Amino acid sequence: MRLPEIDRGDGLGSRLLIGFISTVSGMRLPDAARVAFYHKHFFGRPMGAWTQAAMRGLSDWSVGERELMAAMVAKWNSCAFCVGAHAAVAAKVMERTQVDAAIADFRASSISDELKATLAFLEIMTLNPMELTAEDAKSVLRAGVSVEALTDAIAVGSLFNIITRYADALGFALPTDDEFYRAASMLLKRGYAS
Amino acid sequence: MASARPDHRALAEALEHRVLDGPGETDPSLRRNVAARASGGTLMEAPSDDLARQISESACRVTDAQMASVLAAAGSEKAAFEIVAAAATSAGLLRWRQGIKVLEEADNAPA
Repeated sequence: MRLPEIDRGDGLGSRLLIGFISTVSGMRLPDAARVAFYHKHFFGRPMGAWTQAAMRGLSDWSVGERELMAAMVAKWNSCAFCVGAHAAVAAKVMERTQVDAAIADFRASSISDELKATLAFLEIMTLNPMELTAEDAKSVLRAGVSVEALTDAIAVGSLFNIITRYADALGFALPTDDEFYRAASMLLKRGYAS
Repeated sequence: MASARPDHRALAEALEHRVLDGPGETDPSLRRNVAARASGGTLMEAPSDDLARQISESACRVTDAQMASVLAAAGSEKAAFEIVAAAATSAGLLRWRQGIKVLEEADNAPA
C-alpha cells in the first residue's frame, strides 16, 4: 500500500474496525476494504453506494455473472488483485472451472451467449472506449440482452474501471489464494456498501 | 436483494459530483483538471499530470516514485488519495458515458 494511512486507518474508529475484522476473520483485512473505510465521506460512501447497487441490486444478471464481469474488467486492466478477488466471489456461486475457463477465454467457455455478447461489449469499452459504437450495443441486444441488463453491465464495467485503477495506483497487497477465498465469503455476505 | 432497479445515472452523477466538486483537502479545480487529464485532456502541472495520465492509460504501471512525487506535492496522504480517486473516477465515468451513449443510439435506431 503506497499510502500508509490507508493501511492504518484514518481515525480511531477505522483502526478499531480494521483490527476487529482482521481478528475475527483470522486474516489481514484486504486493502479494498481499507480503502472503503478511508476518507469515507469523500469517496467510500458514493463509490460504495453505486457498487452495492450494481453488484447486489435488482438485475437480470446473477451475482456470479456480475462478479465474473468484474473479474474480466480486472483481467483486461491487468489488475491481479481484482482478478483474484472477484473470480473468488464468482466461484462461490458458479462452478470454479467455468469461472476459470471464462477468465482464460470467455468466447470459448460455457457461459451463456448473452453473457459472452455482453463481455465482448465490455472488452471494447474497457480497452478502447472511444471505438465503441451503436453496432456493438446492437450486437448485445440481438443476443437477447435487454436494454436494462446492458445498462447494468455497463455500470459494473465502469465501476471496475475505477476500482482496478485505484487498486493498482495505490499498490494493493496481493492476498494468498486462501485469503481470497475467505474474503470472498465476506464480500458475498456483506456486499460493498461502506 | 433490492426490490427496484438501481438508478445508475443518478448514482454515477452523485459519485462524480462528490469526488470532483465536493469538499476535500484539495481544491475542486485541481480534481477537475486531474479528471480532464485522465480522460485524455490537456496537460497540467507535474507531478499530478504524470500520475493522472498513468492511471488512465495503465494503472498497473504506476510506480512508487510517481506516487511519492504526488504525495510530496499534495502535502498529505488524503490529498494524494483525492488525486488518485479523481483520476480513476474520471477514467471509469468516461466509459460509463460512452457505453450509455452507444446503447441509447442503438435503442433509438429504427428497427
